[in-house]
Amino acid sequence: MKNPKKKENKRYFDTKTEDKGQKTTTDNKEVEVFNIKITPELLRTHKYKKNDKKGFKKPIQKKDNSKFKGKAPIDPQKLELHSRGEGVGKGVRHPLHAEKLKKKERKFNYAQEQAARAEILLTEDHGALEVDEDSKTTAISQKIIAENVDISAAAKIFELDLDFGPYRAKYSKNGRHLLLGSNKGHLAAFDWVTKKLHFEINVMESIHDISWLHVETMVAAAQKEWLYMYDNTGTEIHCIKRMDKILRMEFLPYHFLLAAVNEFGFMSWLDISVGEIVGHYNNRLGRTAVMTQNPYNATICIGNSKGVVSLWSPTVKDPLAKILCHKTPLTAITVDNRGMYMATSGVDRSMKIWDIRNLDGPLQDYRLRSAPVHLEFSQKDMLAVGLDDVVEIYNDCCSKTTEKPYLRHRMGKAINNFKFCPYEDVLGIGTRNGFTSILVPGSGEPNFDALESNPFQTKKQRKEAEIKALLDKIPAELITLNPFDITEVDVPSMQDQMEAKKKLLKMDYTPRQKKKRNGKTFVARRKIIKEVARKEFIEQAKEAQKLLNLPEAQPAKKPSFGVLDRFVSNPKTKK
Amino acid sequence: MEEIEDNEFVASEHDRLVSAITKLDKTQHITEPTRNEPTNLNSEFTLIKRSNKLNLENVAKILENTSHHTQISKKLKKTQHESKVLSKPLEKPQAERIKRATGYDETKKKVARWDPVVARGRTVDYVSFPLKHTSTKMQPTGEFLSKLKIKSDLEKELEELDPPTVMEEEEVEEPVFPMTYDEMVEHRQHLAKMRAQQSYKAAKAKRQSKIKSKKYHRVLKKEKLKQELKEFEELQKKDPEEALRKLETLEKARALERHTLRHKNTGKWAKNKLIRAKYDKEVRQQLADQLAVSRGLTKKVVDTQSSDDEAAEEVIPDIALAQDPMNPWMMQRSDKSNVNAEFDFGYKKFVQNKRKLKDDSDSESNDETDDANDKLSVLKEGINKLSQEDDQVEESGIENVTQESNEAELPQVNENVKQNIKKVKDKRIHKALIKLLGKSNAKKTVATTNWMVESADVIEPVTPDEILLAFEHNERNLEKIVGRKLKQMRNYVKKLEKASRLEHQRAVQMQNETRERNNLEYLMMKPQKVKPIIDEELIETSSKTVDESNNVEIPLSKTLKPVQPNQETTDSNIDPTRFIEVKPKYLNTAITEGVNAYDQLDDDEQVVPRVNIEEVFEEDDVVDSFRQEKEDEVNRNKLEDISLSLPGWGSWGGKGVKPQKRKRNRFIAKPAPKMPRRDENKGDIIIREYKDPKLAAHKVKDVPFPFESVKDYEASIRAPLGNTFIPEKAHKKLIRPSVITKAGTIIEPMDEEELLVPKNRKFKNEHVLKLLGQK
Repeated sequence: MKNPKKKENKRYFDTKTEDKGQKTTTDNKEVEVFNIKITPELLRTHKYKKNDKKGFKKPIQKKDNSKFKGKAPIDPQKLELHSRGEGVGKGVRHPLHAEKLKKKERKFNYAQEQAARAEILLTEDHGALEVDEDSKTTAISQKIIAENVDISAAAKIFELDLDFGPYRAKYSKNGRHLLLGSNKGHLAAFDWVTKKLHFEINVMESIHDISWLHVETMVAAAQKEWLYMYDNTGTEIHCIKRMDKILRMEFLPYHFLLAAVNEFGFMSWLDISVGEIVGHYNNRLGRTAVMTQNPYNATICIGNSKGVVSLWSPTVKDPLAKILCHKTPLTAITVDNRGMYMATSGVDRSMKIWDIRNLDGPLQDYRLRSAPVHLEFSQKDMLAVGLDDVVEIYNDCCSKTTEKPYLRHRMGKAINNFKFCPYEDVLGIGTRNGFTSILVPGSGEPNFDALESNPFQTKKQRKEAEIKALLDKIPAELITLNPFDITEVDVPSMQDQMEAKKKLLKMDYTPRQKKKRNGKTFVARRKIIKEVARKEFIEQAKEAQKLLNLPEAQPAKKPSFGVLDRFVSNPKTKK
Repeated sequence: MEEIEDNEFVASEHDRLVSAITKLDKTQHITEPTRNEPTNLNSEFTLIKRSNKLNLENVAKILENTSHHTQISKKLKKTQHESKVLSKPLEKPQAERIKRATGYDETKKKVARWDPVVARGRTVDYVSFPLKHTSTKMQPTGEFLSKLKIKSDLEKELEELDPPTVMEEEEVEEPVFPMTYDEMVEHRQHLAKMRAQQSYKAAKAKRQSKIKSKKYHRVLKKEKLKQELKEFEELQKKDPEEALRKLETLEKARALERHTLRHKNTGKWAKNKLIRAKYDKEVRQQLADQLAVSRGLTKKVVDTQSSDDEAAEEVIPDIALAQDPMNPWMMQRSDKSNVNAEFDFGYKKFVQNKRKLKDDSDSESNDETDDANDKLSVLKEGINKLSQEDDQVEESGIENVTQESNEAELPQVNENVKQNIKKVKDKRIHKALIKLLGKSNAKKTVATTNWMVESADVIEPVTPDEILLAFEHNERNLEKIVGRKLKQMRNYVKKLEKASRLEHQRAVQMQNETRERNNLEYLMMKPQKVKPIIDEELIETSSKTVDESNNVEIPLSKTLKPVQPNQETTDSNIDPTRFIEVKPKYLNTAITEGVNAYDQLDDDEQVVPRVNIEEVFEEDDVVDSFRQEKEDEVNRNKLEDISLSLPGWGSWGGKGVKPQKRKRNRFIAKPAPKMPRRDENKGDIIIREYKDPKLAAHKVKDVPFPFESVKDYEASIRAPLGNTFIPEKAHKKLIRPSVITKAGTIIEPMDEEELLVPKNRKFKNEHVLKLLGQK
């Protein structure tokens, strides 16, 4: 019914996890097992097959007859799942670089192939509740589940009766540790599987929200005035007075940011790796305690009293997007792990599912009998809805309209918040007087990636992972709606640059000419002067001739030589 | 006496007999002449044809037999031996040049052998050094195998029984000499061959350089050119890129030609020819040829692509401005055709327009009228020309032009007039020329005559009497001629009018009015000033927008094209499903404590609440205000139309005067169309469009070198390399350094064995080889 060991290979930006549920279900039926003994010859033929499709056709055909058929074929669907998109085309003309890119492309293909092949290692399958035709899954109570599962799983159903008012509960990233914080100052952290207590203190102040930081040795508590940080022994290590009167907090593990919103609508992002506040501004939404993070792009979603959900990033002081979800005040929001769906609920007792990746919707519109107080998606996209004292879990309610809940748990005390435990089929509920842990079969991711988040982490591994995570820290500026923005070229500024370059090219580089007087050179002017003088002289001569009335000298008639006249030199008369 | 007679008789008889007998024998008997007596005179016919050179060899042969004379015979033979005189060695620079050329070829060949090795090294993923991994120590097979084998007991026992013979190691002799005998011989032969080649080349070059014949060189040049052309054609087929590069050399030749004075007819030869050119047609032709050569060489090679547009312009035959083909200076340069196109005005343009119009019109009658119009325009043109000529005459008169030149021009003018009138005569054929035409014609002609007379009067007698007289004489002549011709023309026109009147009456019956209107339109005067009527709105393009037309100019526009985010394409299409309201689904949720907890309902039944409590909370203005917000957001980034109109510009302005609507519209500059917003057609969703400078700092603003499009570049960085994203094996493969060196080893430079490595020999990427070969 349930598998406690779970593995997953999950990232913020991982697209391959799409349709995982579908895929894993098909796994059971369609996986073919090939017992292949790898021989050097086999390897060689395979190499040829991969690298040179034309040149080495013959050996492959030869091998067809033989016992071994080479590597197992990869399911094209799985291959498609790991695809990174279209490769570099034939746009690069430089032969050397084109060749290099082709080789690189081959490596990418190899990586894709390897990833598809490695899926065979995801051995674990998520569990589920199976009932007869005439009975319902909602009829199965925790008691029945506990009776049917193994003892270690049954131990995960427990209840803590605590006295200090409504509790908030949060699991650490690897799902191993639990943090409880009560409204009346009770703060406790413990390994909930072994029930080993790390610390338990009363901060003697109201606690509004709590959060694990990047490792389980550090927790943050938003207390009455300021934000405090404690280590795993309960020692106060920081008091951040710049973040005051905080209502809700979210920790963004890949950016090392602690995002918080306070009573006055101020939002702040604290970089816990360097202790710097990277974003601090007022969202102008007023007091709101409805907040969640979108794990896909690390934006913060805040729902306000007007039914609007707005998405925020630390560097932009206006909402990146706004969605009018309900006509009434919002009571809860949640975004699923892949950043595909967002579930919102309002006072109007409706619950809507939105396509948050494309910012579209609503995909589903549900009407409930009472307004939900809290919503939560599990790793496998089960939606838990908290209705006063009842938790209902819906399976597969996003892409299609669900008819009835998958599981229902009634507990007789008001719910404050709840969280699905990562890599476990467990839902932890913080209630008015304590904490309840219930089993929800099939809610958690069965396969975990030990390099990513390891529930069985040793101290050394933790330290190593911490350093690695710090090295891989993503700058806060990269929080945008599209996390792939960084892989794109900034086209507008590129265009600007090119235009500027074009302008530069158009510039006239001819140097300034030395000034000519009256637009004439010296030589030209001298010529003009001479010409004028000559004309004047001629005029005068003519006048004089007129006055004298002298007969004009007839040009002496030249002796004619007949045909040979042409050879007589004829000096050109100048005009 | 008798006896003597007898004797004589007998002798003669005998002779006859002998001759008769000899005649029987047909063969010719040549008797070798013998010298009997020493005489001074030798008959030239009796000389024996034989070289009288003493064959020393024969002599020596005789001497050889005797051992005593061996020395002498040897000496004789030696003297016999011919020795050639060595040719004079080449000049030193020439010889060195040849040496260099052959040396270069050799070295090139030698170095080119490495091309595939280098090219492979460049393209391959990674190169690991040292290149040779095999251990230098040779190991006999037996020894090597003996290490691996563990002998079984049986084998050991067998060995004891029959010990295996120890293989004697073969001593591998170290070669003492750097080269074997064969190699040495080969080397020597090679060198000798080289030397021989060198000397051949030298001899050939020398001989060729000695040739003074111009014709030979010309032929040589032509041959070379032909060869080159042939090669070029072949190249065009095989390798167009290379051919293009070849074309560039043509460009070089052009530049060379441009900067020299060759073929410019500035040389001594040309000057001499020029003197004679006046009278000699052939010489003129020669000069023209020379210029044509220069033009051919300096003609710019235009790209076929770019010239496509220009070609259309060039094709238009320029009849009106056709020049004297014999005149080398006026020969039209092909690259000047643009200039001519620019000066397509007046008559020429008119003719061209007409041609176009002609094409458009279908009816024959229309064509006829067109023709008539053409004639008319020709006439007009002629008369205008006449007046211009006259103008010229005036000017020339003022500027002291001699009588002769004036007289020379006059017949030309007359000729022109004659031609025009002839054309008018031709017009008679076209009876379709109707009244209107005739009228306009008449008017025109009258006007021209008036002008002529006036212009004649205007001239002031300032110039010397002689010139004036001459001018007046010309004037009178002209007037006479023109007057006569005009009279004739008027007569024709009157006749035509009469004819056309009759024709018109018929035409009214026959033709429909519309056609006539068309004709009238052709005859209508063109408006004096053609005002460009711009009712189009000005479009102001900002740099940020993706303007297609703007991009076309940019050579890099290609790179930008694929950038168009495909979201827009999908978004612009309105998805009908988007507007389908999602039907609310009433879920059977648990009833919480507040409500009656035990009021259980059947889960399958859809439950619709009796009272819509949500309506109590609903605020309608929430939706309205949100939509208002969206509208504001949309409008915020919208650029307003800019009115550039200046009130009072070109019309009255002031209080109460409304500017014309047309004018207002004309001067409104509309901003460039923006890309559609992401939240367009999305309902109640606002997506802010912003530019984050902090994010922009991280983004790439330029497409780096080998890439030519954004799409390709983005594709190259699309996949992650880290081991948290992809399998370790692939990760290792992707991050492997391009050069791997083994630590602690001496890395020897490549030796020639690398040339023989099959992977290097198999490298066949021609493009890369070529690229690297160029370097």
